Amino acid sequence: MSVYLIRRLLQTVALLFLLSIVLFALVNVAPGGPLAGHGQSRHVRPERAAILMRQFGLDKPLPVQYVIWLAGNDWMRVDADGDGIADSYGTRKGILRGDFGFSFRTRQPVLAEIGQRLANTIYLMAVTMLVALVIAIPIGIISALRQYSATDIALTTFSFAGQAIPEFWLGLVLLLIFYAWLKNPFTGEPLLPPGGMYTLGAEFALLDRIKHLILPVATGALGWIAWYSRFLRSSMLDVIHQDYLRTARAKGLSERRVVYRHALRNAVIPLVTVLALDLPYLIGGTVFVETIFAWPGMGRLYYQSALQRDYPMLLAILIIGAAAIIISNLLADVAYAYLDPRIRYN
Amino acid sequence: MMHSRTLSALSLVCLFALLLASLAGCGQATEAPQAEPTAASPEAEPSAGQPTAAPTVEETAPQSVVIVIPEDPPSFNAIVADTGYDAMVMELTMLGLTDIDPEGNIFPELAAELPTVENGGVALDEEAGTMEVTWKLRQDVQWQDGKAVTADDVVFTWNAISDPATGTWMQGIDYIGGVAKVDDYTFVISYTGIYPGYLTQFGAEQLAIWPAHYCDPAQGFTAWDCARTPLSDGPFSLKEWVVGDHMIFVRNPNYYRPDKPVIDQIIVRIVPDATVRKTMLLQGDADVDVWTTEPIVDDLKDKPDVQVSISPHPRWVLRLFFNLAAKGTVDPVASPHPILADVRVRQAIRMAIDVDTISQQIFYGYGTPVWTELFRPPYACDIARPEYDPDAAAALLESAGWIDQDGNGVRECHGCLNAEEGTPMEMELITYAEFGEPMTLSQQLIAEMLGKIGVKFQLTVVEGSVLWATAADGGIEQTGNFDVDLWDDGYSGTDPTDFLWELYSAAAAEPDYGWNISRWINDDWNALLDQAYTLDEAVRKDVFCQMAAILDDEVPSILLFSVINADAHSTRLEGIQSTTFDMVTWNAEEWSMK
Repeated sequence: MSVYLIRRLLQTVALLFLLSIVLFALVNVAPGGPLAGHGQSRHVRPERAAILMRQFGLDKPLPVQYVIWLAGNDWMRVDADGDGIADSYGTRKGILRGDFGFSFRTRQPVLAEIGQRLANTIYLMAVTMLVALVIAIPIGIISALRQYSATDIALTTFSFAGQAIPEFWLGLVLLLIFYAWLKNPFTGEPLLPPGGMYTLGAEFALLDRIKHLILPVATGALGWIAWYSRFLRSSMLDVIHQDYLRTARAKGLSERRVVYRHALRNAVIPLVTVLALDLPYLIGGTVFVETIFAWPGMGRLYYQSALQRDYPMLLAILIIGAAAIIISNLLADVAYAYLDPRIRYN
Repeated sequence: MMHSRTLSALSLVCLFALLLASLAGCGQATEAPQAEPTAASPEAEPSAGQPTAAPTVEETAPQSVVIVIPEDPPSFNAIVADTGYDAMVMELTMLGLTDIDPEGNIFPELAAELPTVENGGVALDEEAGTMEVTWKLRQDVQWQDGKAVTADDVVFTWNAISDPATGTWMQGIDYIGGVAKVDDYTFVISYTGIYPGYLTQFGAEQLAIWPAHYCDPAQGFTAWDCARTPLSDGPFSLKEWVVGDHMIFVRNPNYYRPDKPVIDQIIVRIVPDATVRKTMLLQGDADVDVWTTEPIVDDLKDKPDVQVSISPHPRWVLRLFFNLAAKGTVDPVASPHPILADVRVRQAIRMAIDVDTISQQIFYGYGTPVWTELFRPPYACDIARPEYDPDAAAALLESAGWIDQDGNGVRECHGCLNAEEGTPMEMELITYAEFGEPMTLSQQLIAEMLGKIGVKFQLTVVEGSVLWATAADGGIEQTGNFDVDLWDDGYSGTDPTDFLWELYSAAAAEPDYGWNISRWINDDWNALLDQAYTLDEAVRKDVFCQMAAILDDEVPSILLFSVINADAHSTRLEGIQSTTFDMVTWNAEEWSMK
């Protein structure tokens, strides 16, 4: 197993390196550029464009830009003032030394900006996925145990609806109902806040945090509930027809014990693998939920960076996302081997 | 064994999620950026934003105004990214030499008076074609930390902007030979030419004066920390900035105007979705919605607690840009556009577009018809509005050799000027996606109107970053790879000279050197443009109106109508006035609550 892990880790490094080339090329060769529409004026004066190109490092050939992005330019002389003479050392360290550059939009270090958003997204997505699991597991079990019953059909319909309803629509509808229409009968204030993570200016209060979580979590969790419950239903259906369950019943075990101790525990193994694969969502966030509920997370940051062609920010988010996907895949493999002794990696 | 492992793993996943949730929920990672002030910290120094530590509204019950905007300002230095939101917060905290009121009148801020030729503030050297402007500063303006705002700050700001490595470009920068301090409250700006826009060059919504004793020049003008945690000399100072969530501004106790600002606190909340912003305004959770669009203005018109402030003068004009060079080329002489190089075709297209219908049907009647670049004070010219007359347009196309002989509804060239015989009158009409549905609907309606006179358009929608990219990046307009484009444009401030140069001068027709994307070259017009670089207002007005007349005849582009410049606000807020020359916060110190 340890040999396997070392091999996978080495593969991960190689894969990330290749990905860095592909992502850098894709972001840079996509139609358009970061200078178009830079600011309110739709067009940038050429003098301004020349300065921006130099300050952003876009005035160099793409391979050189990649090397600088990867390894920095503090070891090479650069022409910082545009006089045609490379007379000073650069200031960039490169991503290999943890320097992802500065945002074209804010001129602030990329990692600092990501750091400001990452915890918010993990907070929201962790609660969302947790709530989704807590609801999805019973739904999946009941659906499987009562296959083709009215309950199963109702829950299946709910699941399909959950997958089909777009988040941006659901979010706005929930907001209208619970913020604009329904009022607290005692205070006359909206039942739930319109967005944000907490009430501005108020002391920390768990109830306040929960109130701010309800709408974004409900909007975000619906799709996950549908996905996990369908998955678990399918997994349970595979398990409950196995011989060992018939044996368990023949031994006189109660149905409750058969289901929860023998069926569910085996049916949940594939779900754990799926969960591990979904871990990147913890840092990726969700654009629609964060946009509607004014949640300062990674989804909004990514969307804004893509729209505004903020290459350094975009690349950092993509690389971190890619690393998270690769690592979660590795975790899924390891978790699978850990949970199911029949699986062995050589 | 396997069962216990499964449970353990599930428990671990849940525990991990709970741990993250509790950590993030309790910690709030979104701190306002911090600067290292080089001087003693002011009393109301910008602080790192731990939201839970913020003084509460309930504690002191200040008069508080909530402004909602869709995204964070990149910084307080509006000239660097020019998103408008940076100018909005800059207006709250930083002063320039001058500013512009909603009617287009320039008034002094840090300046004691406006320097002119008449009051001796401007010395012209007619022979050399240069000028020197002597500015005197108010002597009662202080930074938030109590230090005086002096000529040293102006010189410092100029040196930072003009630093070739870390500075930026601003309009008229090439005309400035230098900025020299005379005494603590006097300085002289030397110009190497005559620059008519000198009054607002170091002010308005673009540029503030930065504190020499607080900002770190080594960090550079475009990236220095003091632009994220500014030291205020304006009516408010930044108290807290939680990126992506909110900013809190409080009164600057050292503001030079007595009894101003009236309100105690301004909270800027970042709310990306326009519908949510509107709902918050209606629910009383927001007081000002910045840059309210036509559909929302229309939604709000009958609401009792909300009103909309509309700028008396608009800026952004929806317009069609013609490519006078053949598609994919940039030389209108060597390779004229087969259809659009003929001025009669351009005139016919203008006659066939019903501007009022587009404004009414798509922009809820809030569009103001505009047909000349010189349409707002101080250079509003008397150019007759073109008539909407599709029959006359069709007749003009017939006379230009564009006739639908095969009866398929699309004209073909039969004796036209620049196309081969039989060439169908088919072109591409491109617009950009970011503006949203009103722009694409306008595009469709224009194509439909022109289709009725036998001009067929293929419609394309692209991202702005593709449409306006440099030629090196394959930009559609810079490479001339278009027939007709539809988008909105307009000049900021009160001086249109640079804007006209950018859009219509011969020099600006060169790819990646300017934005004369029509590649329209007119020697008479260019000669007039040279004459516009004077401080003689009478001459300027005359010259601009002659230029407007030529543009009206030649139709290198068609101006349709201006989109609304409006800010919705609660009726409890008084003194607010939207303006096209600045952001709505231009007079925030005057705002008061009922």
